[in-house]
Amino acid sequence: MSDLPNETNNNEEELRIGVYICHCGSNIAGVIDPEEVVKFAEGLPDVVRATDTLYACADSGQRLIKEDIEKFKLNRVVVSACSVRMHEPTFRGAVAEAGLNPFLMEMANIREQCTWAHGHDREGALQKSMDLTAAAVAKTRFLTTLDMIDVPVTKKALVIGGGVAGITASLDLAEQGIETILVEKEPTIGGVMSQLNKTFPTMDCSI
Amino acid sequence: MVDAARQPKIDVRTYTEVESVEGFVGNFKVTLREKAKHVLADRCNGCGDCARVCPIEVPNYYEMNLAPRKAVYIPMSQSVPLVYTVDLDACIHCYKCVEACGPLKAIDFSQEDKYVQEDIGAIVVATGFGHFDPSVMEEYGYGRFPNVITSMEMERLNNSAGLTAGNLIRPSDRKNPQKLAFINCVGSRDKRYNPGCSNFCCMYSIKNAVLLKQMYPNVDITIYYMDIRTPSKGYEEFYDRAREMGIHFVQGRPSLITEDEETHNLFVHSEDISLGRVIEKEYDMVMLNQAAVPQPDQNHMSSVLNVVQSPGGWFMEYHPKLRPIDSPTDGIFFAGACQGPKDIPASVAAGSAAASRASRILHSEKWEIEPIVAVVWPDRCSATTKGRACGLCVKACPYGAVVIDGDKAAEIITAKCHGCGGCVAECPEDAITQMHYTDAQILSQIRALLADKPEEKILAFRCQWCSYGGADLAGTSHFEYTANERGLRVMCSARMDSDFIYEAYRLGAGAVLYSGCHPQDCHYITGQKVGAKRADRLKKMFERMNMTDGRFRVEWISAAEGDKYARVLNEMQMTLDNMSPEELRDEIERLKPDMEKRLKRFPGVPGVSEAMDYSDTLVDAILKAKETS
Ligand SMILES: Cc1cc2nc3c(=O)[nH]c(=O)nc-3n(C[C@H](O)[C@H](O)[C@H](O)COP(=O)(O)OP(=O)(O)OC[C@H]3O[C@@H](n4cnc5c(N)ncnc54)[C@H](O)[C@@H]3O)c2cc1C
Ligand code: SF4
Ligand code: SF4
Ligand code: SF4
Repeated sequence: MSDLPNETNNNEEELRIGVYICHCGSNIAGVIDPEEVVKFAEGLPDVVRATDTLYACADSGQRLIKEDIEKFKLNRVVVSACSVRMHEPTFRGAVAEAGLNPFLMEMANIREQCTWAHGHDREGALQKSMDLTAAAVAKTRFLTTLDMIDVPVTKKALVIGGGVAGITASLDLAEQGIETILVEKEPTIGGVMSQLNKTFPTMDCSI
Repeated sequence: MVDAARQPKIDVRTYTEVESVEGFVGNFKVTLREKAKHVLADRCNGCGDCARVCPIEVPNYYEMNLAPRKAVYIPMSQSVPLVYTVDLDACIHCYKCVEACGPLKAIDFSQEDKYVQEDIGAIVVATGFGHFDPSVMEEYGYGRFPNVITSMEMERLNNSAGLTAGNLIRPSDRKNPQKLAFINCVGSRDKRYNPGCSNFCCMYSIKNAVLLKQMYPNVDITIYYMDIRTPSKGYEEFYDRAREMGIHFVQGRPSLITEDEETHNLFVHSEDISLGRVIEKEYDMVMLNQAAVPQPDQNHMSSVLNVVQSPGGWFMEYHPKLRPIDSPTDGIFFAGACQGPKDIPASVAAGSAAASRASRILHSEKWEIEPIVAVVWPDRCSATTKGRACGLCVKACPYGAVVIDGDKAAEIITAKCHGCGGCVAECPEDAITQMHYTDAQILSQIRALLADKPEEKILAFRCQWCSYGGADLAGTSHFEYTANERGLRVMCSARMDSDFIYEAYRLGAGAVLYSGCHPQDCHYITGQKVGAKRADRLKKMFERMNMTDGRFRVEWISAAEGDKYARVLNEMQMTLDNMSPEELRDEIERLKPDMEKRLKRFPGVPGVSEAMDYSDTLVDAILKAKETS
């Protein structure tokens, strides 16, 4: 299983952190100057590579990170870009392809939670982008490799609600051979559609 | 409908509700309550002899209560499955039905609700929508004026399978109406009720006008609208056709409907924007296009399923653009109008999409989940150091993932741990850590975020599922808030250790926000409660220390509340702006010794003293790098 974070911190290897500041076109670069953040990041401990990129998530951006991992022997990666809800899986995947454990990548959200919310205060947004990037760098210092946990899968689906959406989902699942329970709270399935007269756009009868 | 009943792989369970959902992706344990129909499904042949003799009549919901049904009933003749149900609330126990059923012996009054547990790999939620009740809008007279009907009532009245076999009559005198008005946006796009658009009302309004015009070429129909919205393929052409057929369209939202008490005809008072004046016209019948609203039990279902709701109460998707079918919980998906009004084509598409998302999991032998679990250092547990396990971790865990066996140290059952971090923050001996969210990692983030002018900063702890999403939404919606906010993410408010808060104030933070999900939205069942209890203690403590009100805020912010996130941050900034720099500095200095005292044991936590040393170097580097850049 995974390493246990412990007192003697298992980062005995020398840390080599790569930092990538995304422009996201003008979404980030329209408010702050990513190069300023790059210069700042170069001054942080263990950062051996810092650069900006037009779109970190694009093929070219991901390729850059992957090539750098090899070229600069990076063992930690920080991507200052958008929300983890958007692209954490993307960048975890990218570093994994370059042979780095995906949990050694950390993101700083300088788009949704910075430039998009602080367009009125460019200097403030720049300072915040630096601090968020520094915090991500700081976290990587103590990151450990982790492995995903495999869980078994019960091959049975539950669909809640027997309207047209639930019926369609049930049929699609069942036709793929998946056992499906369709639960409906009323005494009949059909939902609102079954109550309707002819329906647009085809004007045919509804059931 | 019939296809679903015929498909051998589909097990249709009607009159059934979901009681509880436990477990996780691939491994849900679902309890269903199969309500007693008092009719045995395998014996009932659907003949209806029971209903014919039943003396009790009650309104039939399926006919929008315009027609009766018996106490033993099917909602409609094409019901699937074709099995009768006894409605015990209406039944007078005369047992005529039992007699009529005779040797089939399908009716069984001894039947009780059955609770069954099912092992499930993935769940599709397709609970649909409800209908706005226009009787609350007194200006339209629904409920008082018999000839004012709702759109759902219209669907039944002009339906060949409906109560009048498709012969449209008006309720007051059962005559065919000649002059009708349809009113769009009743209860929708109306700040008093529902600000959102109901999506399909424009189209069904036009549909019903076209259908009636085809059936009764001489009827005169006027549709009152604010905007006609027909964006899907072929819809605009449909609207064109309606205009060519002579259906009238008036842009204006009626302000009042009055009734002629004798004829029961109706007068619609409205602005007509194209004429630029107020008009008043007489009609035989008026249809109100009632807004689509969330199901009455949507809040309840939301907590059963542990999913989140958008501002109007609809279920909220993981990401509105990129993962529109996924709920925030892995293995639970949404289909159809339960997410917000969708017409049939869109609901069907969503049904297929949800099936496809779910089948990725259901076709896999194994599914990967994040290893963000808790781990115990047995040497530190009080079982080892004091001979007795305190058990606070067991109490904190929403999943029963922590076990204490006799006098042995606490142990985590990894497969059961969902990684909220509650036990980690609750353990008084700091004997538990959480993968990917260790104290050392979080501490060094705090230090970095507060490196530069900490007194100006607002350190915001957010949970991954809700308040982090709320902060994202604030940005996506471009709600501006103070750039002095410095956000830090953990999985659940349960993980927000008091030590982190003390450390923030020790470092001189201007303010600290402690935020997570609303209790009913918590991704970890009761994780938020663990966090909330701690937050409450902290709040009281800071009050006792006379900390300025607003420098420590506890706020529950959902992923749908971007506006709230921005507002709270701006209010906190105002709190700081209202203090003079000296005042703030004095208060920070005054509280510091107390914070230091409370943090005395913190460096003893594995990794923390190392993180402290590292952070000293880091903070220097940050300040220097800022100077030069
Ligand atoms: C007046 C009117 C006219 C319309 N005309 C058209 C039209 O002509 N063309 C068109 O494309 N669309 C039309 N629509 C829209 C159409 O009704 C919806 O698109 C469609 O019904 C959505 O399907 P659904 O399966 O998502 O939800 P629903 O039809 O609402 O079905 C949901 C089902 O889930 C069940 N359920 C709810 N909660 C639970 C629970 N907790 N447990 C178990 N079961 C539960 C309900 O009983 C119901 O059977 C019209 C809507 C209205 C109001
Ligand atoms: S016992 Fe109840 S359901 Fe049966 S006929 Fe009498 S009233 Fe109707
Ligand atoms: S809370 Fe900590 S000390 Fe108490 S039993 Fe659990 S692990 Fe041991
Ligand atoms: S309290 Fe949370 S982190 Fe601890 S074992 Fe339970 S689920 Fe895991």
